[in-house]
Amino acid sequence: MFEGYDFEVIRTSLPYLFRDGMTFTVTLTLIAMSGGIVFGTLLALMRLSAFRILSMLAGGYVNLMRSVPLLLVIFWFFFLVPYIGAWLVGAERPIPVGAFWSAAITFTMFEAAYYCEIMRAGIQSIPRGQVWSGYALGLNYWQTMAQVVLPQAFRNMLPVLLTQTIILFQDTSLVYVISATDFLGAAAKVANRDYRLVEMYTFVAAVYFIISYSLSVLVKRLQDRIAIVR
Amino acid sequence: MISIRNVSKWYGTFQVLNGCSTEVAKGEVVVVCGPSGSGKSTLIKCVNALEPFQKGEITVDGVSVGDPKTNLPKLRARVGMVFQHFELFPHMTVTQNLTLGQVKALGRSQDEARDKGLKLLDRVGLIDQKDKYPAQLSGGQQQRVAIARALSMDPVAMLFDEPTSALDPEMINEVLDVMVGLAKEGMTMMVVTHEMGFARKVAHRVIFMDGGRIVEDAKTDAFFGTPRSERAQQFLSKILHH
Repeated sequence: MFEGYDFEVIRTSLPYLFRDGMTFTVTLTLIAMSGGIVFGTLLALMRLSAFRILSMLAGGYVNLMRSVPLLLVIFWFFFLVPYIGAWLVGAERPIPVGAFWSAAITFTMFEAAYYCEIMRAGIQSIPRGQVWSGYALGLNYWQTMAQVVLPQAFRNMLPVLLTQTIILFQDTSLVYVISATDFLGAAAKVANRDYRLVEMYTFVAAVYFIISYSLSVLVKRLQDRIAIVR
Repeated sequence: MISIRNVSKWYGTFQVLNGCSTEVAKGEVVVVCGPSGSGKSTLIKCVNALEPFQKGEITVDGVSVGDPKTNLPKLRARVGMVFQHFELFPHMTVTQNLTLGQVKALGRSQDEARDKGLKLLDRVGLIDQKDKYPAQLSGGQQQRVAIARALSMDPVAMLFDEPTSALDPEMINEVLDVMVGLAKEGMTMMVVTHEMGFARKVAHRVIFMDGGRIVEDAKTDAFFGTPRSERAQQFLSKILHH
């Protein structure tokens, strides 16, 4: 059934696909994950703040990001980031940031909204008494958060945070709209050059499936382990 | 040491504390009792500002709790508090639980905090549990660690919020023994509890609360002998005669 297909093209393009494409995808995922979790946690703290202005700002940001298609956000940031950069440093011309950093900033900002909601649920799952207990020992707000609440919230939410990261890993393929060469982008280039679309896209799908599925199995195991310790 | 004057508190329109006034002198042990929902836990949480109050004044060792200019973390670091559900930090070992406040709030060195914490852990009879996590200890043991943790801050007074209510009956005494020891050493203590035996044994005064008010505030002997209010009489007859 495979006559007419040329699987050789996959073998010869493997170094390019992984060295260029997958490196881009994985780096982008890791940056957006770490940046998104840090920024998202700050947003969560703002959302739960007793100061109305802070919680409204964070709430507005999260709702905005979650109501706009990711593809649009990628577009907007690609065009806007150079101008925002110029405005921030006071330069007269837009600062060229390149597809990678544009994507890194976009995904960090976008994912932060989702990580925020996860961390918010995590923080709210910590009993009130834990906060009281931290305060009663003379810890201030930031110390109580950093030492008592966030470590527990993060630990409880780790499986969900990782699941969100798997989604992020797949979503990074959308950077093709700004012509970035991620794993899918690299495969698309080879596919178009050699006119081997079926082979390349099948291969790409298989790789995404294997990585995402293995990760989700790992997350499941982790979840069971956390459940036992608790 | 602790002075509570005319304190009232509302949750929305619901009044939980209604003009409460009392004093706890240095070295005095005061037991606060009353039916559930009477405001006793809320009152004791107002003392170290875990709960805000809208009217009245509370001072601890001369420092006003309600004053917005008061450095609350600093004030709380000097008042030990023990909770009904222990509230040890589950992600830290017993030793880490004992040192966190000392290092972060008092600025002690790790070694100093550790020495101090372990000495107190030894005192509550749990030195061999120092590397365990709270979940590996029984309720009574956790509460004793919580008391050691509060004491490690060298508090000027200790607040206990129903410290034995979440314990299995057979573990209550090990916790009460530690508290009796503290009281005998002259620690200033305010204790919300239903343990009337403890109150009889070590309390100097007993406060009875109902419906957000302090209904009775009497010397221990007088309280158990002839409580003046009918409500306190009813309460005592219910919990003492089984």
